[in-house]
Amino acid sequence: MLASITHPKLLLSDRECNHMQLTSDQLRLQAIAREFTAAHIIPFASKYDQTGEFPLFAVEEAKKAGLICMAIPKKFGGAEYDSVTQSVVVEEWAYGCAGFATTLSGNGLSSYPLLIAGSDEQKKLYFTPIVEGGLGAFSLTEPGAGSDAGSCKTTAKRVGNDYVLNGVKCFCTTGSYAKVFVIFASTDPDKGVKGLSAFVVERDRAGLMIGSVEHKLGIRSSNTIELILRDVCIPADRLLGKEGDGMKIAMKTLDMARPMVASIGVGVARRGLDECLKYLSTGKPSQMAQFTVADMEIQVEAARALVRSALSLKDAGLPYSKEAAVAKTFATDAAMQVCAAAQQLLGSLALSSASTVQKLLRDAKVLQIYEGTNQVQRMVIAGQILREQEAKQAAATGGK
Amino acid sequence: MSYTLTEEQQLIAQSASDFAKESLDTIAVELDRTGHFPRAAIKALAGHDFLGLLLPEEVGGAGAGFVSYVNVVEILARSCASVAAIVSNHVLAAYVIQTWGTAEQKKLYLPGLAQGEVLGGIAACESGATGIPGGGSLVAIRQGNGYVLNGSKTFVRNAGEAGLYVVFAKTDATANPNVLTAFIVDAKAPGLHVGPKLDTMGLRGCPIADLVFNNVAVQDSAVLGSVNGGGAIIAATLAVASVAEAAQTVGLAQAALKHAATYSTQRIQFGRPIGSFQAIQVLLANVSANCYATRLAVLDAAASIEHGQPFLAEAAMVKLLALHLGQKSLIDVVQVEGGYGYSEEMTLARLYRDIAGTTVRDSPADFPEGRIAAEIA
Repeated sequence: MLASITHPKLLLSDRECNHMQLTSDQLRLQAIAREFTAAHIIPFASKYDQTGEFPLFAVEEAKKAGLICMAIPKKFGGAEYDSVTQSVVVEEWAYGCAGFATTLSGNGLSSYPLLIAGSDEQKKLYFTPIVEGGLGAFSLTEPGAGSDAGSCKTTAKRVGNDYVLNGVKCFCTTGSYAKVFVIFASTDPDKGVKGLSAFVVERDRAGLMIGSVEHKLGIRSSNTIELILRDVCIPADRLLGKEGDGMKIAMKTLDMARPMVASIGVGVARRGLDECLKYLSTGKPSQMAQFTVADMEIQVEAARALVRSALSLKDAGLPYSKEAAVAKTFATDAAMQVCAAAQQLLGSLALSSASTVQKLLRDAKVLQIYEGTNQVQRMVIAGQILREQEAKQAAATGGK
Repeated sequence: MSYTLTEEQQLIAQSASDFAKESLDTIAVELDRTGHFPRAAIKALAGHDFLGLLLPEEVGGAGAGFVSYVNVVEILARSCASVAAIVSNHVLAAYVIQTWGTAEQKKLYLPGLAQGEVLGGIAACESGATGIPGGGSLVAIRQGNGYVLNGSKTFVRNAGEAGLYVVFAKTDATANPNVLTAFIVDAKAPGLHVGPKLDTMGLRGCPIADLVFNNVAVQDSAVLGSVNGGGAIIAATLAVASVAEAAQTVGLAQAALKHAATYSTQRIQFGRPIGSFQAIQVLLANVSANCYATRLAVLDAAASIEHGQPFLAEAAMVKLLALHLGQKSLIDVVQVEGGYGYSEEMTLARLYRDIAGTTVRDSPADFPEGRIAAEIA
């Protein structure tokens, strides 16, 4: 299980740690995650990027290190880490490789719907294979339903004591390797968004098929697939919450997942910065180079602070939906900007396929797209602050 | 000046556009996948006089000017930036010989370059950590009626495919390491080795490698311009190169924009094409405005070069605009197509990598801002 590290602060003396914000337990996990990344991600990231091979070995190692089921309650055999701790680990993984981080944090994303709406029976069904080292997958997106998740065409029809699922989902992360899925389907297509429902579906259900595998610009070792559902029959008790709860569950899941994507952004940005520092430390950096890395550091620090601030709200049981969207947008925009700036700073030195910076530049782009594009995040943020303002004005008018 | 193209410039642009649609659109994906050199396309381009674009008609060139050159580079880049890069580096090598060469050098080299029988390359970048163009590790020592070259150059485009290279070497190493001389070096010269082809993220069809010089002997007749006069040649050459590279960025950005804009009219979300959302319009419009401004600046700088006016500051500003356009395109254009834009099955992923491969400072020491600031004062 966990490596025994007695003096985490001694291992973590550098600028990336932000000690003051973290508890000693969190620092300990950070040290473990950093060791894990150095041993099991960094040496393999480039090769798996080039081949697109899925790093099953890293999942195995993460299980050994106790990092694979961080979100799962202790009652079901998980680690039940608080959200800040999870984000600290995810940042470390992403420092090594955003593709590996996407794979390793996928169990978090796919577990959230169960935490939000699962019964104990459902949780047991879903968490058991994951605690044993298996993987889970979350499947909401469809070819015609991306940002507009409500226009989902996949149907779940109630037949006796079962639901029968039909449709095609896409961009399903880790789908080829998942033992269990949370799949969103419409139980009442006439109701649109309000007809969406969420189901737990085991991999071995007849009719659940893996379609084409995406070849992507970046995070190439992460498995992204088309999921084909043809008369997939599941017991009715696989429904999470009630019929029509799907959109609510999906939105709450994304609220939880967004700060983790933001953490991937922080890790990627920090790596981009470090690659520049490594290069600059070989000579006398120009003032332009110094200002560039200073701007990068500003972005990394600000992004990390936003992530931890949003997750501290969540861990305290307070509303954090807007803050999650703010953190996701800022941190992933920052990751993209830092990597683009790193590529400009290093110039021709970043052209080669073997260069870490060119991989970062390809990887960073997806962070602004998945878990809700940053355009959707801005819709969420603006929606909330405008509603708050309206309420404020209404209250003021009502008071007159 | 007027930005209206002359009839001749329009004809050349039209011809480039026809060629690109017919012969480049079809090979771009394959070139990117295999990284093979597009021999057939380059031969066909030679047949259409694009390789001798800037050379006078008496040596078999097209006798066109710089405005046509940047137009052609932009147009080729919209279809296949690898080919645009190959052509632009070749044309530049020919231009350098045309501008600074002796009558004999022109007679010897230009007909082959004009016909595309010989491909040209320029070796300006040093492999030293700072990568200062020209300054550094390739040294030419006087010996008999010529020089012996030792050292290396890095990131040489068309390396391995070119029949001749314009090379910049230190000729007065002890007195002043910044004193350079330009040489024309035959690719077959004994002792000249091409390093392994760099596996690049973008522009994968354009070969790029190191040149290693191991006692490469050249005659005095290989000196381009005056001995120790290479500094002015390299400055002008890199300035012209940056204008052409900016044209390549404009072509790539334009192609990416066109793809994303078309996608935005077809992709339906929330019951309407995503292109009807202001958020998408803003993404497209900002890149488009950058693209428009950069293209005008490219044309203006090209016209200055063509008319023999000063252009070093203009070229530096064009380079800066292209850097910004490249960054803006990387960040904003794929965003329009979301998950589909991120797929390597679609066009934008390739354009993303090609843009990243194009709009680079040569090195951290490449600092156009410095020249611009000095010029303003």
